[in-house]
Amino acid sequence: MRKHFGWRVRIPVAMLVVAVGLTIAATGFSKTSGAHAVKAAGLACGLGTGQKATGTPIKIGAIAVKQAGTDFTDIPNMANAYFQCVNDNGGIYGHPIVQDLLTDQTDPGALAADAKQLIETDHVVGIAGSSDIIDCAVNSAYYKKMHFNVLEAGIAEQCYSSPAEAPVNMGPRYSADGATQTAIALHAKKIAFDQSNVPGTQYNLGGSKLIAKAAHVPIQFLTEDAANINGETAAEKEVQAAGPGGAVVLVFTPPVALQILQGAQHLGLENKVIWTCATPCNTDFLATALGSAWNHKLYVNAEMNLISQDNGPNSVLYQKVLKLYGSNVAGGIGSFSQFGFLLGQLAVKGLLSIKSKVYTPQTVNAAFKALKNFKTDFLCKPWYFGPLPNNTDFTVYPQDGKMVLVPKSGCLPISTVDPLVKQVRAYEKAHHV
Amino acid sequence: MPSWSNFQPFIPIGLAAGGVYALSGVGMVVLYRATGVLNLAFGAIGAMGALIAWSMINTWHVPAGIAYVACILFGGVATLLYGMVFGRLLAARDPLVKAAATLGLALLMLGVMNRLWPAQVTRSITLPTDNTAFTFGDASVDWTQVIAVGFGVVMTVGTAIFLRVTKIGTAMRALADDREITATLGVPVRRVEAAAWFGSGLLAGAAGLLLADLVTLASDGLTFIVIFTLSAALIARLRSLTVTFVAAMVIGLVDNLITPINSITNFRDMTPFVLAIAALLFFSRERQYSFARGGIR
Amino acid sequence: MADSNVATRSRSSLRAAARLSRRDAINLLVVAGGVLFVLLALPSLLTPYWVVTSTSAVTFMIVALGLGLLVGRVGMISLGQGAVLALGAWVGARLLFATALPYPIVLVMTGLITMVLGTMIGLPALRVSGLYLALVTLMLAGAITVVLVDTNFPNGGSGFLGYADQSTGTPPSIRRPSIAESDPAFFRYVVIVALLMFLLALWHIRGKPGRAWAAIRQSEPAALAAGVNVTVYKMWAFALASFVTGIAGALLGSASHVLYAYTFPTSQSIVLFAVVLMGGVYTLFGAVIAGVLLQVIPGAFTVWGIPSEWATILFGVGVLQVLTTAPAGIAHQLPSDLARLGRFLFGVARRRIPAGGRAP
Repeated sequence: MRKHFGWRVRIPVAMLVVAVGLTIAATGFSKTSGAHAVKAAGLACGLGTGQKATGTPIKIGAIAVKQAGTDFTDIPNMANAYFQCVNDNGGIYGHPIVQDLLTDQTDPGALAADAKQLIETDHVVGIAGSSDIIDCAVNSAYYKKMHFNVLEAGIAEQCYSSPAEAPVNMGPRYSADGATQTAIALHAKKIAFDQSNVPGTQYNLGGSKLIAKAAHVPIQFLTEDAANINGETAAEKEVQAAGPGGAVVLVFTPPVALQILQGAQHLGLENKVIWTCATPCNTDFLATALGSAWNHKLYVNAEMNLISQDNGPNSVLYQKVLKLYGSNVAGGIGSFSQFGFLLGQLAVKGLLSIKSKVYTPQTVNAAFKALKNFKTDFLCKPWYFGPLPNNTDFTVYPQDGKMVLVPKSGCLPISTVDPLVKQVRAYEKAHHV
Repeated sequence: MPSWSNFQPFIPIGLAAGGVYALSGVGMVVLYRATGVLNLAFGAIGAMGALIAWSMINTWHVPAGIAYVACILFGGVATLLYGMVFGRLLAARDPLVKAAATLGLALLMLGVMNRLWPAQVTRSITLPTDNTAFTFGDASVDWTQVIAVGFGVVMTVGTAIFLRVTKIGTAMRALADDREITATLGVPVRRVEAAAWFGSGLLAGAAGLLLADLVTLASDGLTFIVIFTLSAALIARLRSLTVTFVAAMVIGLVDNLITPINSITNFRDMTPFVLAIAALLFFSRERQYSFARGGIR
Repeated sequence: MADSNVATRSRSSLRAAARLSRRDAINLLVVAGGVLFVLLALPSLLTPYWVVTSTSAVTFMIVALGLGLLVGRVGMISLGQGAVLALGAWVGARLLFATALPYPIVLVMTGLITMVLGTMIGLPALRVSGLYLALVTLMLAGAITVVLVDTNFPNGGSGFLGYADQSTGTPPSIRRPSIAESDPAFFRYVVIVALLMFLLALWHIRGKPGRAWAAIRQSEPAALAAGVNVTVYKMWAFALASFVTGIAGALLGSASHVLYAYTFPTSQSIVLFAVVLMGGVYTLFGAVIAGVLLQVIPGAFTVWGIPSEWATILFGVGVLQVLTTAPAGIAHQLPSDLARLGRFLFGVARRRIPAGGRAP
């Protein structure tokens, strides 16, 4: 009996110890970088006083997808890195910001619960730094009902149509528009547009369809089961669909895009067509993994400016904050952490603008809604609270293992053939933003 | 309907995929025959090996060759460890229980992998043979594909010869037939089983490395790719190495040759499932028939 | 001497029977009390987050109940129940969008349609058993997932599939029963449905099917020889499991108002099997534990900021542990371990008290 009991306990305990040990061994050293109060002096985060904020905390919520294969927590983690820097520099007039991050595994029921937890139980005063595949679809009505104005990196269609949401990015549709525009500008005879077979495919391709039609370029739409993709198969399929002199537009997350491009490389297909890609391809990691064989052969629509070439004050601060506070931003420099940084800055700007210095959901969300004319060297144009404030962006391509701006490409305005872009530009013109 | 030149490029891709499926299938069948364990964590073990190799190359800057060897060895050692602990604890249980336990191992490893190699980072393994494409008709072929097919063939033939010719191989076959009698005959059962665990684990590591290059280096993708490779082993009813190899090749080819046919391309991933289900039901019908005949005699 | 022995034995067995029925009565009281507490008090004690999470947990208890029936009662392992759940969710959502029928009728219809589909998945069980059955059902689950990824889940669109991709604004939501629109009310509704499903299962287990299943589990040839129609009762088990799983699927759609194919990956069937094993397949209480494991633990991890991977690790360790040392699962192990812990603590206390008495 006793021996039986021993086995029953010993095996799982031993295994748990191994798992815990491995995990701590791997994550332990990254946690030790907690004492950064001294190093932060002189960083222009928030008030930039160099004094640690000790007042009553201000709770800011965020929801991000984190599941096997898809993990967007770099965005809230980078926002939080900026919050930490602000807290070490006077906070919000002495109040430190505390992030309340909930992760989601693309489970609509749990996601609805997450939003309720943030607003009704944890009593966050605002939501900033979210990035989730289905958050807007599931929760935007609830956010509107609760009068929350969410700052986020959006994906689903509802992020760009709900008055309660303001994204810092363009999301798959408008970035794909940009990639399609680039393909057309490079005289593609035909376009093969490939994306993941998840809900929203028609939405994602909608703009490109109109743009290609307006330019009289035939376009064919393909989908892949991203959970189970063979890069070579997908690449060959795309090249066949595009045909000689054609172009391929890729709308995938970085790992899947990399798989396809490497598949193309295996088969020597990099010269067969013009390759273009939406924002996720804009990472140095991808450029490094692809190598010099892809020099100037993959045109990427980039929603955020490159860090390696642009050393504007904002980019410098971003890199410093990432280095000092971003130990859990696993992806490092890249569009995702740039989104997060920008979201952190916007939230702080909003909070600092509250004249009453009373931080309730009412004041904070009013301040978020009132955000406008935020200038940063990450973006071509100043940012304001609206459905698609980021609608003019950059074009980059790989060069010797790094992404570089395509020379003379400048800022690319997303085509007003796409109805929402037309609407937004009219609004911007009318309101001089 | 696409033309022949549309199909051609998919032949080497399909054969390469089939080669890796064959490699995995052979590893699973050998272990099942020797120990009665269907290792459903086969993919997870290979995935972890490949991720370790990735870390060695990208974080610790170890020469790639050593990292690849480490990946394959990790497969062997991890599988052996599991076999020594749980293989023994469950030795007397039903094959179903043994297989279910490996699902536990797969989940455990998947969790640890997601913890240690978070998905925010995009990873890939590029074998030196990748960028060496040559054309063959309308198809371009790279040396990794050649290696995948070649490795599949060599491993299938090699394992078959090993099982026939060597002493330990003969012992494995005897174990597969009757464990009790083999033990009575003085065969060192534990050592033979350990060899089977280790050898099958080496194949898991090698398959993981090749799949990481040819398909993906994502923990979940590689873990559940086992469902694909399993179908080849199932078509061979977990017995014949030759049938496993042929089935794997057919699955890889059919799956890829369907790709250019637009009307059904989205359903191409059903290929292994449909083939395996059909084969299993067909064979089990045959078995019942022969059972009935035996009964009449 | 021999006579008195027999007498003692019969008396003791009588006493055992009396004790058993008293235990049954106590169990019944405990269960009834628990259900009343869950129905009346729990929703008002929980935060909105936990009401939603508990609703999922109860829904998955129904799923676990179905799978537990197959595994524990009949000895058939299906690794395709995740796919059956997805089918149920699809059918439920389709019916809820297509018709204005009262909710309970839609539930029953969903259950019946899923029963037909699920029984088809179970058909291979007539040909193969054991390991092969588990693998065939896993393959079927894989195939069904591929189809569902392509068809997507109904979202108020037209046509047979009921899916409209170009949706603007908030997507139309899968409706809930009119008497249970709010989260707490829907939670109560789900608890009552779950209760009915457990009673349905209990009724089967206590009745003729239960005896037939037990015979099949012991030995198929023996069951055949004893005149049990093995084919019918195997299919019956699959039908019942699919029926309850289908109903759970419909509830799942209403709970979240929207469904996505990537909520039902093939791997879910495997995780489902893992938690059902951990909970325990030989008692109905095991299904309750499985639902808690599958939803409440990850839910708590989310709120506590513990990475979700730990839940996967926990399930993996749990499966290994259950299979090697405690085949009856937590449902059996928890009471016996608690009893053992109690004895241990009691023993320690008894040893300590005199020692403490002697000290200054």
